Amino acid sequence: MIAPLSWLKEYVDINLKPKELGDRLTEVGLGCEKIVEKNGDIIFELEITPNRPDLLSIIGVAREIAAIESKKVKYPKAKTDINVKPKKVLPLKIETNSAINPRFTGIIIEGINVKESPTWLWKRLESIGQRPINNIVDITNYVMFELGNPLHVFDYDKIKGNIMRVHKTKGGEKFKSVDEISYHLPASAVVISDADDIIDLCGIKGGYNSGIFENTKSILIRVPVEVPNLIRRASQALGLRSEASSIFERRVNSGGTIDALQRAVDLVLELAGGEIASSLIDIKKEDFIPWRLELNNERLNKILGIEIKETEVISLLERVSLSPKASRGIIQTTIPTYRNDLKIEEDLIEEVARFYGYNNFPKTMPAGAIPTGAIPYFKDFRLEEKIKSVLTGAGFSEVYSYSLVSEKNLSELEIDSEKVLRVDNPVSLEFEYLRPTLKIGLLAAVKQNKSYFDKIELFELGKVYLGKNVDNAKEAYFLSGISNVKSYYEVKGVLERLLAELGSNYDLSKSIELTEEGIIFELNLSDILKNIGMKKKFVPVPKYPPVIEDLSIEIEPKIKYGEIVNVIAVQSKLFNKVELLDEYGNKKTFRITYLSRDRNLTSEDIEPIREKITAALKKSFKAEPA
Amino acid sequence: MDEKLSECVRGIPRLDNDQDRGGGEITRQTNETSIPRNETWRELLVLLAAQKYKKFMEQELIKIKNDASSLIIAAEHEAELNAIKLDFTGRSGKLTQLVKEVKNIPEDRRPEIGKLANEILRSVEELIVSRAQELTGRKRAQLRKMVFDTTRPGIKPHIGHLHTMSQVLRDVVDVFKTLGFQAADGPEIETDHYNFEVLNIPQDHPSRDTQQTLYLDTRGSHATPGEIILRTQTSAMQGRIMEKAKPPLRVIVPGKNFRYEQVDASHSFEFWQVEGFLVDRDVALTDLFGTIDYVLRKLMDKRIKIKFATTNFPFVEPGVDTYIECTVCGGKGCSFCKMSGWSEIMPAGMIHPNVLKAVGYDPQKISGFAFAIGLSRLVTLTYQMDDLRLLTNPDLRILEQF
Repeated sequence: MIAPLSWLKEYVDINLKPKELGDRLTEVGLGCEKIVEKNGDIIFELEITPNRPDLLSIIGVAREIAAIESKKVKYPKAKTDINVKPKKVLPLKIETNSAINPRFTGIIIEGINVKESPTWLWKRLESIGQRPINNIVDITNYVMFELGNPLHVFDYDKIKGNIMRVHKTKGGEKFKSVDEISYHLPASAVVISDADDIIDLCGIKGGYNSGIFENTKSILIRVPVEVPNLIRRASQALGLRSEASSIFERRVNSGGTIDALQRAVDLVLELAGGEIASSLIDIKKEDFIPWRLELNNERLNKILGIEIKETEVISLLERVSLSPKASRGIIQTTIPTYRNDLKIEEDLIEEVARFYGYNNFPKTMPAGAIPTGAIPYFKDFRLEEKIKSVLTGAGFSEVYSYSLVSEKNLSELEIDSEKVLRVDNPVSLEFEYLRPTLKIGLLAAVKQNKSYFDKIELFELGKVYLGKNVDNAKEAYFLSGISNVKSYYEVKGVLERLLAELGSNYDLSKSIELTEEGIIFELNLSDILKNIGMKKKFVPVPKYPPVIEDLSIEIEPKIKYGEIVNVIAVQSKLFNKVELLDEYGNKKTFRITYLSRDRNLTSEDIEPIREKITAALKKSFKAEPA
Repeated sequence: MDEKLSECVRGIPRLDNDQDRGGGEITRQTNETSIPRNETWRELLVLLAAQKYKKFMEQELIKIKNDASSLIIAAEHEAELNAIKLDFTGRSGKLTQLVKEVKNIPEDRRPEIGKLANEILRSVEELIVSRAQELTGRKRAQLRKMVFDTTRPGIKPHIGHLHTMSQVLRDVVDVFKTLGFQAADGPEIETDHYNFEVLNIPQDHPSRDTQQTLYLDTRGSHATPGEIILRTQTSAMQGRIMEKAKPPLRVIVPGKNFRYEQVDASHSFEFWQVEGFLVDRDVALTDLFGTIDYVLRKLMDKRIKIKFATTNFPFVEPGVDTYIECTVCGGKGCSFCKMSGWSEIMPAGMIHPNVLKAVGYDPQKISGFAFAIGLSRLVTLTYQMDDLRLLTNPDLRILEQF
């Protein structure tokens, strides 16, 4: 919302300096994003939340300033009596339905003169970024921005058959807007048809065929209340937004149609001449009068956490024109129709709080007991920290990459994009699929770093998204890393240390692979964390020294380390550990450690074990001592 | 020479046989308690042998002492010295073994040899100690002489860097832990129900416009189009947790969110938030202000400027927005804070009664507050980064700064 200071000052006296005023407006909920000086005026750019369509008008902003400054709002004075019985009545039949058009307020004016607006008017429109068109159209825009009720003017003479029929579209109807753009209308859009054709896309845009041009002589001014959902859906379906539709879809001031019409009539008669040529039209099912809302002062204090006296509450509510009246701890308020956002007691509590000033509140800490029970969806972040500290300790730096990837990213890893979850409306094709692996980000990261670094070691701990479609979609935390420094066995060693820290016996055999960018690993961390045992227990240091012996054998190279070790390990209870010292061709040298917890081992103890191992290796693998 | 022994020898006639036998008996004979005088040749021979053995012992001891001394003096390192020590005076060392032999010497000769043996043992040990001191002294002198170029950088170990997001997130989790908040984690692929409906944002609510949603492709599934989305806010976890647990609750939910937004310095289609909420009896707005103030000052700096403003989110009432003075420009105004000098960091508010009702709580008895820290923004503000995109940039020149 753009609000020029000079315009605001027409309705309220402002003492605060622009900067202070901007800060105060922000505090009460009108986020002041910018204050600029333009053509000798000060322009406030305000961010209005969707619950306050009333603030999409200068009068609305002025009311907030009046509340801040504890002043009264000066509303524009009516000049013409629109309820007067007209000298001449032009015929018009209106068929409408409150379910799709809750209020239809309007009037006909005859004998107007369409021309350029006076300087003050077009300057004002220009100051809020609107393009002046002609006096009639400019008046409708001006009144909408001034009072917050959108209105539309029809060329009365172009309404065929003197009939206006408000109805819903079936879908597919053609419509040409006043700015000469053609649309195919969606179903359930609210439109007005005359005897021949659609002449208005209600609440969004007027029709070309009933538009105001230089030759227009008689007009119908319509100030409607529209149904928010219907306006919103039609506007979304067409991708067509207007100032009017923004107000209607957030709920217009249903009690404000008469005032807006009054203002428009006054300006038309003043700037374009003419005479009222119909009685006041106001078709509605209900009265759209202010409603009552109660505020319990005790509850207010409980929720706000401070003691605000009833008299002060009343004075704060008076500032926002809610006509508060107190009786026995209950404050009765009357909500003006432009405040559609005030529906429950809590809304009134916010009204009090925001003018009391959020920054004037004391700060307290929650007093209740600290909950100790387990919560649903609990996550132990210490586990992640532990994992990350092992990896950083091993030289890997952490990256965060996007969850969304492109089809090209997938095909480069030979992943079928048909089997990957997809976003229907991606921001771009670069970010269309939900990553099923973290490797995409890591490989890209290595490529990016290669020109500056020789040694690159990176990891990511993040979510991947599994499953072919949303029925079997599953999110899992993966842990992946890449290194162009470490060997396969070094990477494996890091992961083994990690798993040992977690107390997991996860199988790493399929987790590490070689790529042209380096050794890459990927673990399903969610799976790992399902089965871990982090409790550690002290094992006494052995009292007796171990006996260490090297054993060299000739064995077929295809026989795996694991198989050999499994055979060695079971030959004696004194076996403690084994490591592969050296490997060359057919020859492998193992270093075997024997340990007893209750005595010193001698060569007599080891001799028979050695023979047993040699024999077993011979039997199992035809291995010979080397 | 021993008086008793020479006396014996003088009175003994020459005889050349049986030498072997006498020699062979040495060990056994010397074990006897007393040696008779002037008796038989055999006995004499025994005495002679004893004499010889004593001499041998003397010689051996002196030889070992000499060997040890020369080795000790030549030792240049502590390790070498330790080896020598073990070799001579250790439990099975040469000198130790020889000293043990002393008990095999005839009793009347034993004190003499014993004394010699102990003297030698002591002197070897002393020599080792003094050599050790000498070596230590020399080493210290050498170390004192060594000079390092203190301006030259050290050789760094190869340790990776934890991402700024993780560092800040760890701090956030820790700070909230001190207030009794437990962390939770939930799905990013979310339903419209939890992301919007439970949070008092029905279909067609205009506030949905402020959270443009990314919808998942539902082809080939049972879901209706539009039903399954990527969550736009971690607040989606409010309903999931509250409907399964009773108050009091203090929960934070760090996580990633998605919105249909083009990427620029301060926006992205992916961003991180830390949702938080507290529900209990008698929770007040001042508690929310106090909690936010405490947390932000702990996380950033005691002296940061914080201000609160009214705002509207359908799932809170009253609604609160929290701004901190922009750390990138120090409040002067920059492109990151859109020249305002302030950065919006933590929208919050008192949980709306409709949300409490939707999860089965009684809003007349239970109240609570909720907030969402813009984690991505908090990270950039913490490190004075001027662009959110730096967080997903894997450039090691960025990562290695932290």
